[in-house]
Amino acid sequence: MNDYQSTYLILSAILFAIGTLGVISRKDAIVVFLSIEIMLGAVNLAFVAFSRANQSAEGIFMVMCVMAVAGAEAAIGLAIFVLLYRKTGTINIDKFNLLKW
Amino acid sequence: MELIAIVICGAAAVMTALLVIFSKNTVHSALWMVGNCLALAVLFLLLNSQFIAILQVIVYAGAIMMFILYAIMMLNLRAGEEGDLKKNLLNGPFVILCLFFISLLILGVGLSPMALKGAMVPSALAAFGEVNLIANYIFVEGLCPFELVSVLLTAAVVGAVFLARGDTQHRVDQ
Repeated sequence: MNDYQSTYLILSAILFAIGTLGVISRKDAIVVFLSIEIMLGAVNLAFVAFSRANQSAEGIFMVMCVMAVAGAEAAIGLAIFVLLYRKTGTINIDKFNLLKW
Repeated sequence: MELIAIVICGAAAVMTALLVIFSKNTVHSALWMVGNCLALAVLFLLLNSQFIAILQVIVYAGAIMMFILYAIMMLNLRAGEEGDLKKNLLNGPFVILCLFFISLLILGVGLSPMALKGAMVPSALAAFGEVNLIANYIFVEGLCPFELVSVLLTAAVVGAVFLARGDTQHRVDQ
C-alpha cells in the first residue's frame, strides 16, 4: 500500500529549509528563536514518519526528548534575551557583541 | 484521500512557517507559529501517532508559545523597527540555503524506500501510535534517557530563574 513516506520527508525538508532561511536572514532574536522551533518541528515530522515506517517507538521517544529540549531551550534562551534587553535595550542580534574579543 | 489531507496540512504548515519568518510584527510571528504547531499536530494525526499530536498541541502550542508570548510582551519591542530582512540575502547565504535544501530533498526521497521494513498493514499502523506501547518503550528501554531529560528540565528551569532575577548581588557584571 502507498504510505506517502516520501511526501512527509519532502515536507520536512521544506520546513527545515524555511527555518534555516529564517535563522540566517532575520535580525530579531525572537524570530530567530521561532525559526529554530520550526526546524525542530520539521525534524519531529521526519522522526515520526521514519518511526511509523519501521513500526517502532524509538522515533516517538526521540520526538519527546526533542520537545523537552525545546522547552529547556525556550526557558534559558528567553531568560538570556530578557537579560540582554535589560543591558542593551534591544534584542537585535547584530548589536550583540558581548563575547567579542 | 489521505494525500489530499497531507497536501492541505502541509501547505498550511509551509504557509504559516513563511508567515512566521516574513511578519514585521514579532507578536504576529509568534501567533503564526501557533498555527504552524497546529498544522504539524494534524500531520502527526495523519501519521497514526495520536499521543505525539496531543503532546504537540499541549507542549508546543500551549506551553512554549505562551512562554514566548510572555517574553515578547515583557521586552516591549516596537513593531516593524527591527523586522527588516538583511539586504545581502541574495549573494551568500541564499545559495548555501538552496544547495542545502536540494541535498535534504535528495536525501529524504532517497532514504524513504530503505526505511520500510515490515509490511504496513492497516491494523499494525493503527496500533503503532498507542500510548501503552510508547509507555512500555519509555519505562523499559528508554528509562535512563527519560530520567536524564527530567534532570535537564529541572536544571533549565533553575538556570532560567537564576538568570532572569534582576535584583541580586550575584549579577554577571555591573
